Amino acid sequence: MLSAILTTFAALVVLGVILAVVFRVRANSAHSRAADRMRVRSVTSVGIAAETPKTTHSAAPSGPSMGSGVAAGEGLRNRFTAVGVIALGIFGALTAKLFGLQIIEAASYSEEADANLYTTVNTPAPRGVIYDANGIAMVANRQVQTVLADADVAKNPDVILRLSSLLGIPYEVVRSRILDSSSGAQSQRVVASDVKLRDIAYISEHRDAFPGVSTQIRTTRTYPYGAMAAHALGYTGTASEDDLKNAAEGRDIQSGDAVGKSGIEQTYDSLLAGDHGQRVLVTNAAGVVQQVVGETAPSKGNDVYLTIDAKVQHVADRVLQDAVRHGTGTAASCVVMDVNTGGIVALSNYPTYAPEHFIGGISQDMWDAYQTEESHYPLMNRVIAGTYPAASCFKAFTSLAGLTYGFADTSRVWDCQGTWTGFGDSFPQKCWQKSGHGWLGLREGIVVSCDVVFYEIAKSFYDARASIGDEAMQDFVKEFGYSAATKIDLSGEAEGRIPTPAWKKEYFKDVPEEAQWLPGDMSNMVIGQGYVLVTPIQVVRAYGAVATGKLLRPHLLKEARNSLGDTVLSYDTIEDTAPQVTEANLNIVRDALRGVATENETVSAEFNKYSWSAAAKTGTAEVAGKEDMAWFSCYAPYDNPQFAMCVCLEEGGSGGSVAAPLAGQIMDAAIQSAAGTLEEDMNTIAATEVSVGGSN
Amino acid sequence: MAQINEISSLRMQDPAVARATRPRRFKYVNPSFCLFALLLVGYGLIVQFSATSADADYSFARQLSGVAVGMVLFVLITRMDYHALSGYTTLFLIINVVLLLSPHLPGIGVEVNGGRSWINIGTQIQPGEFAKITMVLLAASVMARYGGRLNDLREYLKALGIMAVPFVCVMTQPDFGTGLVYLVIAAFALIIGGADWRFLVGTVLAVIPLCAAILIIDPIADQIAGHDVLLKDYQKSRLMVFSDSTYDTSGDGYNSQQAKIAIGSGGLLGKGFMQATQSSMGFLPEAPTDFVFCILAEEFGFVGALVLLAFYIGLIVTSVHVARGASDLFGTIIVICIVGMWLFQILENIGMDCGLMPITGIPLPFISYGSSFMVVNFVMLGLINSVWVHSGR
Repeated sequence: MLSAILTTFAALVVLGVILAVVFRVRANSAHSRAADRMRVRSVTSVGIAAETPKTTHSAAPSGPSMGSGVAAGEGLRNRFTAVGVIALGIFGALTAKLFGLQIIEAASYSEEADANLYTTVNTPAPRGVIYDANGIAMVANRQVQTVLADADVAKNPDVILRLSSLLGIPYEVVRSRILDSSSGAQSQRVVASDVKLRDIAYISEHRDAFPGVSTQIRTTRTYPYGAMAAHALGYTGTASEDDLKNAAEGRDIQSGDAVGKSGIEQTYDSLLAGDHGQRVLVTNAAGVVQQVVGETAPSKGNDVYLTIDAKVQHVADRVLQDAVRHGTGTAASCVVMDVNTGGIVALSNYPTYAPEHFIGGISQDMWDAYQTEESHYPLMNRVIAGTYPAASCFKAFTSLAGLTYGFADTSRVWDCQGTWTGFGDSFPQKCWQKSGHGWLGLREGIVVSCDVVFYEIAKSFYDARASIGDEAMQDFVKEFGYSAATKIDLSGEAEGRIPTPAWKKEYFKDVPEEAQWLPGDMSNMVIGQGYVLVTPIQVVRAYGAVATGKLLRPHLLKEARNSLGDTVLSYDTIEDTAPQVTEANLNIVRDALRGVATENETVSAEFNKYSWSAAAKTGTAEVAGKEDMAWFSCYAPYDNPQFAMCVCLEEGGSGGSVAAPLAGQIMDAAIQSAAGTLEEDMNTIAATEVSVGGSN
Repeated sequence: MAQINEISSLRMQDPAVARATRPRRFKYVNPSFCLFALLLVGYGLIVQFSATSADADYSFARQLSGVAVGMVLFVLITRMDYHALSGYTTLFLIINVVLLLSPHLPGIGVEVNGGRSWINIGTQIQPGEFAKITMVLLAASVMARYGGRLNDLREYLKALGIMAVPFVCVMTQPDFGTGLVYLVIAAFALIIGGADWRFLVGTVLAVIPLCAAILIIDPIADQIAGHDVLLKDYQKSRLMVFSDSTYDTSGDGYNSQQAKIAIGSGGLLGKGFMQATQSSMGFLPEAPTDFVFCILAEEFGFVGALVLLAFYIGLIVTSVHVARGASDLFGTIIVICIVGMWLFQILENIGMDCGLMPITGIPLPFISYGSSFMVVNFVMLGLINSVWVHSGR
């Protein structure tokens, strides 16, 4: 309405001026015609002027111009024309330029003016909660009272002083927090988090004393069970430059946001992260906020449900912690998998850490303390990143290889004398039982874990290499997922290694005398020693395959639900491969593993305590320069397999005597929990203490 | 005089003569000229009301007081017969030199931003503004002596020399913008005062290589002297900004860029009175003075800007009409010098706002903030009206 009136007014004014100018020009031309006539008269007037000098005040002292009145008049007209042309040029140029700016380019300049004026500031959104399979929150959000200040509060020493004394934070610290622009120039700056409600109330009641200060409820991560499942859950941290640059598609990361840095928090960061709230502000040239134009509330991220059973996890964490703290080994890891779905039920490592320490950034001292050899690397997720010799746990797979290729069967027997010289007297190899086992078959060989039986199988493979190739055993074993990532939904997974002649040649290419593939490499590999390296997750997955005949992909995600409770994503079991092995051969090995649990002296002493039956295998790995590493792998119940698991203890000693009791407790917890009869006191799991260099 | 009236009365049948000699309805006020002047002053006050409201450093009341003082001076000068001023060439020259050198006097001279353009005599004023009046009178009185024809080279150089004195004085302050205004006044006096075209063209041709020489010698001179000698750093960067619109938009090019954003974002109809964000939010510094046109263009749009230009055209057309009807060459030159000065100020001020001209501190007549500036423009209006009143029959 107003603009219409203005336009009409402006149009009238312009029209009026145009008419006035046209009228003037016409009048002028008429006038100049008159002037022509007048000029004749002016000649006379000059004559008169000579007598009456009053009319020509400007008459110069020198006379000549007087006589040339006509010429001067003619010149004057030209000169007026020149002035007119100059004026026309000026107004023409200005009008054209204004037309360009205000009509043709108006839109882009409008955008720039708006860009000057409006600033959009993001407010952080709460991340989704991480639950276990039964809905127990393992990572939750806690509401914290936050005191925020506008940037220009930094110029107000009185307010800083009041904040400083109220919150008990030194003056300079308050000031530097307000000056910190890392979350954006116009963002409100966090002065203090987790402020006492009493102080928040004080600020709210004395608004006049705190101009530019506001309070807000923000959320932060909280870990109800402390360090429980720390390696599976992972931790969050403040977004780094790289995070900002490499944000996944659809994931909007702003400076200052919390992003998942490891574990589930990292893998499912996009699911967990919510949508930012936005405040649209009007700011002046100095960046001072004048007005809040619009505000949208942040929305919480999706809740993630894991396959982990918090109770079983708690048992695993507790059992490993107790063992290592009481001097059994230096580091331990354990993983329990549902053999029918691939879902991880428990994933535990010790030493461990508290994800809480990473909220808002971990101190450099703390970080350094976690990286020392004495600390045994608490941040390392040994289940997926620890590579160890597989030791006798490997025999389940090499015996299947022997059975499949016909180098072993249920009737064949071998003689163990303690020392085996099958590859010549100059290459003697020992059984772990120095006195030997005497004559025994494959089943007995597995139960007592006789090495000589497997040396013989290795020799058979080696001798037949002309017909079956020199990688037949390796290829077979790899069908159980070794020497490859399991593709579990956690990052930082190691692939392990199954040695082959080609690998050895490449690995020792700088030391050609070592690069030769030797018969001893075969006999070392067959008992899971030598160059063999596996991760606990690979072993558990492979034992699951022995139990079911299917190699499943291990995973932690069960499903993700949005804030309405609708499932937005669920993890379907992925069957990676079915190993090329007959059910009959599998049954032979299953029966032998059952024998380990029931007949092996040390193992059966432990496992006979439980109501369920298991198939198991011990392992004691020799690690150069260190104490033996204890392995124990099993699945249960034997008749209707539900869970596969393994325990490994670095420098723990014998697998049968050290690892088996731990595995028994954890497997019992898993089976009890599945039956709904597990009682576990869910107290918080403490993080491993590390000596922080800076603080003591 | 009596004779002419008699002759005229004898030829009453000739309508042109009748029109030229018709008694005026208004004796002391040229109606169309004063109408456009009032429209401009009113428009300026509307814009200043908006511009000064956003910035506590500027006062609308002070601008109003400038208009009030100006109106009184307008009446006084209108009543004064301009013819009486024609003989005081030497006096004007002396006043000019005294005014322009006064900021150097200890006690009253004030240094602002490294320049000495201001004096403090109870209130702070810029003598260079008032010297524009005496510059106009000086130029007119010098050129009127030649009676409309100046084709003697020695006389031309003499006139040029006299009129260059104020420029040289103002450059000691230094104030290049005001100096340019003096040069423009002198140029229009030479054109309308009948200087030979060959002399004018020759002068322009001589100035071009001189400017080029200054640009070339400047860095060398700076090198030798170790500090800025001829051109100041800010002048060089203003030229850089002018020649390259993307030059340093956060630093030296900032004003130029923000001015264009203000004008461009106004669009056809503008954002409305008091709704300009570029100036009120401080993106456009010094908005009420040098960049006042940006506020006008942002609030009233292309239409508002055209209305302003239309008012200016009206004022200039009516002024030129007064010049043509002046009873003597002195009056004609006074009016044309003033018209030339306004034209130049309009071109430079609006031109620099739109990026058409380099940035200099030249205000926009009747619109820009500044009470001295307003008073001086009212004196100019008074002079034109005096020429009209005292050329009547």
